[in-house]
Amino acid sequence: MIRYIAKRLGISFLILVLGSFLMFVLTINSGDPLAEYRESNSPNRENLIKQRIAHMGLNDPWYERYWNWLTGVFRGDLGQDIKGQGVNDLVVQAAGSTLRLVVIATVLAIVIGVILGVLTAIRQYSGFDYAVTFMAFVFFSLPVFWAAVLLKHYAAIEFNNWIVEARFTPIQIVVVAVVLAFILVAALGGPWKQRLISFGIAAVVFAGALFYFSAVQWFRRPMLGVPLYAVVVLAAAVIVLMLTSGPQNKRVRNAIALTALLSIVGYAVMRGPLMANPTTLMLFLCFLGGIAAAVVSGLALGGFSRKQAIIASCLVAVVASGVALADLMLSNWNSYLTQNPRPIPTIGSATPNFSSDYWGHFIDAATHLVLPTVVLTLISIASYTRYTRASMLDVLNQDYIRTARSKGVSERKVITRHAFRNSLIPLATIVAFDFAGLIGGAVITETVFGWQGMGNMFKVGLAAVDPPPVMAFYLVTGTAAVVMNLLADIAYAFLDPRIAR
Amino acid sequence: MKFRKTSAGLGLALSAALLLGACTSPEAESPSTPSAGTQTTGGGTATGPEACMQDVGITETKEGQVSYTGGPGDWTGYNSVTSKTYSTYNSAVSAHMFSGFVYFGTDGTICNNEAFGTFEVTSEDPMVVEYTISDEAVWSDGTPVTVNDFLLDWAAQNPEFLVPGFANGENPDATAIFDHVSSSFAEFVPEGPVGEVNGKTFTTTYTAPYPDYKLMVTPPLPAHIVAQKSGLEPDALAQAILDRDAETVKQAADFWNTGWLFEGGQLPDMSEVPSSGPYKLKEGGWQSGNSLTLEANDKYWGTPAGTENLIFRFIEDAQMAQALQNGDVQVINPQPTVDTLTQLDGIGDSVNVDTYETLTWEHLDFNFRSVKDAPKNVFADDAGGIALREAFAYCVPRQTIVDNLIKPINPDAVVMNAREVFPFQQPKYDEVVAAAYDGRFDEVDIEKSKEKVAESGVATPIDVRLGYRAGNQRRADQVAQIAASCKDAGFNVIDSNSESFFETEMPNGDYEVALYAWAGSGQITSGQNIYGTNKAQNFGKYSNETVDQAWATLTSTLDEDVHLEQTKIIEKELWDTLFGIPIFAHPGLSASASNVQNVRSTATQDQVVWNAPQWVLS
Repeated sequence: MIRYIAKRLGISFLILVLGSFLMFVLTINSGDPLAEYRESNSPNRENLIKQRIAHMGLNDPWYERYWNWLTGVFRGDLGQDIKGQGVNDLVVQAAGSTLRLVVIATVLAIVIGVILGVLTAIRQYSGFDYAVTFMAFVFFSLPVFWAAVLLKHYAAIEFNNWIVEARFTPIQIVVVAVVLAFILVAALGGPWKQRLISFGIAAVVFAGALFYFSAVQWFRRPMLGVPLYAVVVLAAAVIVLMLTSGPQNKRVRNAIALTALLSIVGYAVMRGPLMANPTTLMLFLCFLGGIAAAVVSGLALGGFSRKQAIIASCLVAVVASGVALADLMLSNWNSYLTQNPRPIPTIGSATPNFSSDYWGHFIDAATHLVLPTVVLTLISIASYTRYTRASMLDVLNQDYIRTARSKGVSERKVITRHAFRNSLIPLATIVAFDFAGLIGGAVITETVFGWQGMGNMFKVGLAAVDPPPVMAFYLVTGTAAVVMNLLADIAYAFLDPRIAR
Repeated sequence: MKFRKTSAGLGLALSAALLLGACTSPEAESPSTPSAGTQTTGGGTATGPEACMQDVGITETKEGQVSYTGGPGDWTGYNSVTSKTYSTYNSAVSAHMFSGFVYFGTDGTICNNEAFGTFEVTSEDPMVVEYTISDEAVWSDGTPVTVNDFLLDWAAQNPEFLVPGFANGENPDATAIFDHVSSSFAEFVPEGPVGEVNGKTFTTTYTAPYPDYKLMVTPPLPAHIVAQKSGLEPDALAQAILDRDAETVKQAADFWNTGWLFEGGQLPDMSEVPSSGPYKLKEGGWQSGNSLTLEANDKYWGTPAGTENLIFRFIEDAQMAQALQNGDVQVINPQPTVDTLTQLDGIGDSVNVDTYETLTWEHLDFNFRSVKDAPKNVFADDAGGIALREAFAYCVPRQTIVDNLIKPINPDAVVMNAREVFPFQQPKYDEVVAAAYDGRFDEVDIEKSKEKVAESGVATPIDVRLGYRAGNQRRADQVAQIAASCKDAGFNVIDSNSESFFETEMPNGDYEVALYAWAGSGQITSGQNIYGTNKAQNFGKYSNETVDQAWATLTSTLDEDVHLEQTKIIEKELWDTLFGIPIFAHPGLSASASNVQNVRSTATQDQVVWNAPQWVLS
């Protein structure tokens, strides 16, 4: 195995070096780095041209420039860009910005994409399946810049106009309720009569909720509070229980219940301090505390199902932490709104000249992430949905699934335990690729939302015919691709022992 | 012969706003007395003092903030005159942190900033200018602005005592010590500013009368910080410059070159970056790639900033309209495109949109290389010559080009008929055009064109390579319209765009007509470099004795009237010999939220942010 890895790495290294050569030559021949001065009639034009030639070494032959760059890289120095900024720092900043932008979107896309993929596979050839497939293809082929313009208009400009009053008209309530109910019912399935009843109930519930939200201007001063938090966490615990072991396994059930209880009590205690005087460390510690509680409950009550109990409890703890964070943010939304009456920005990564408390800045970062995250999620959900669906269908048609069904295993168990897990194996490869692509940034998304990430660094560098940033981009993305590929192969062997053999 | 820059100062306000044909300045010798000569008739855009900042009644700074964006370029440093940091983005910021004796008005007029100080030409031979800095002028850390700052500004341009042979170009191998983008101050004022250390007055002496002297002395950087950071006493650095003590001055170069350039988002201690303008940097106010926040300078002695915070945001042009509509920014200066304009117009009353002409102008230039050097050059004087050039000028559809490509953005756009003055610089423009050009090429006249072709004796179809730099759709459209129109006259116009047009084709003379723009420079004399025989920017190898003579006269006097007379002679000769054909001034576009008052567009490269200290929220 080690020999295999070493060989792979050696070959990858050679490929990276050769690729860098090609990339460098292409970059320096892609235009004129002095273009901006050519039509200038400013008095210091000659001086400027001379200085840039000296700074970028434009009079050196191409192989010398490449050699200078390459030897710099081996010394750990990626050079200076056209403006004299150290590229090492630029890469760190750009990568940080890109990660902030893309990680949430990627995780969301994976979670939602996989859920939708499984649902469509189970409801194959239903209206829901067709609808999701249709939407997936629409989003997949959506031009980012266009989607971004629409989103900016409706989700930022119009939303910000609306949030002043935060009220729905009756027509809006009816339409939204009906649409939501329709989607829900389509996903649930079942006989027509049952569907109609569910549709009716769901529509009324949604309409009622919207009416309530509108009447109390909930979107201006939202809050869950501890009681509602408890309800949501318990509901989450039930869902996790159903999806993992099922209600019959008392040990898992007890572990999950204990975790949920501990989460609720913990949050009730911590909510005050977290609201008043939070720090990132404190939030993180609370999260760790939740996980620790879950692990302890699993260990203590899990018995023979210890492993399953721990995993399920951890899932509950993660969901509970997420809901707690959401509650904290919602509770602080109103004070953010008073500081910042138009909360959703169309551009940038932070509100300039904005000073607020911890939650104010937290929400500020979140509002800046909303639009780009939505765009990125929409376009990458599509492929996950399709892959999961295909893989799931593949597994569902296998003999051992039929065997499981025929020996009377419940459909829930067949899907969650036998089918779903195995269908995830091929996804490992795709996820690894996606994470490799992730660091490369999303050139267009970064541009339209004004984020200075990796993609933007590449774009700006190329436009200025400035090799160091372009090459730095190449190095980072190339290395990430090589490493992630390798990891995917190794992980694959792990997940599917047949491969290793 | 090595080319010597006929340059003057690095434009004022560091900021680049450099424009052409600045003969508009109404004040020639005595800067404090406006002359009546230029503002007689009332037609058109304001020139002269109206183009300068107007008193809008600001007496104190109001709470609040205004966000502005001029493009995606991040701010990179406090010292914006190093080769690394010199950009319009940085200059736009610096313009409000450093003040100087002059600034550009909206049409390119050079306006006096009397709050900062005054200056006066005390003698013409040799030419001596005496500067007096206001007694109240201080840096935001309380240190007075003095001669020391100007001494450093001069020394930073690598004068003779520091780098022998550099500024005057005698030693092409000389390596600069200070990474300053300009060297004109050291070149034209070889003795530098003369004054007492820590004094408030100094003089500069020019070897010959120099019309662009106003642009020579630019807003300085704080010398006391440089001295302190370089381990020198504040006075020691200034004294060393006066004493021509090169070793001591060299110690300051390191900090000057790099000490004020920052890694993204990391501002130094505020004591290292004082301001002499209405705004100063705000602690923690730089979010790399996102925004830079300035705050009002409470030590500023002139009219205070109207609004407490001025925020520069770094936003792509295509995203500006929606950002404005959403209130993320209040003032924008996007690239003018029909799309952006339509988008802005669609927003409604909450936004004020302004279109205008700028000091960058598009033109067609003929190649004058003889056929011995450029065998295909039909326009050379030893080939088709003036007759063929005229034939071409008769078929270029200038009005159509302006109607189709420019008017959709700026309905007031006109065909440009001069090179050294712009249509909005009234009444001078009309006066110069009336003297130089009779309107013969205003309308396309194919018959006339055919006659001229016949007269030139060149056999049709005539191949004309119309060269320009690739990647500009508007130029491609212009070439297509010229080709369609000139086809009837017997020209076969070939679209010869190239990525390397300025590097290869143009210097080699592989073109018959070149299409490009000059971004104006703030000088009276810069045109000499374009139209003078063997000058550096005379790419088409044009040579004309009358023009050379007129430039020589123009550049050797400070007399406004002589400048105007010589400009008329030059323009007439350039039309008569058809150096080239001016087409239009590039349009500009700015927009602001309607609750921001006093936003005023400018034709200069300073952009609409030029009068940001006057912006007030209503």
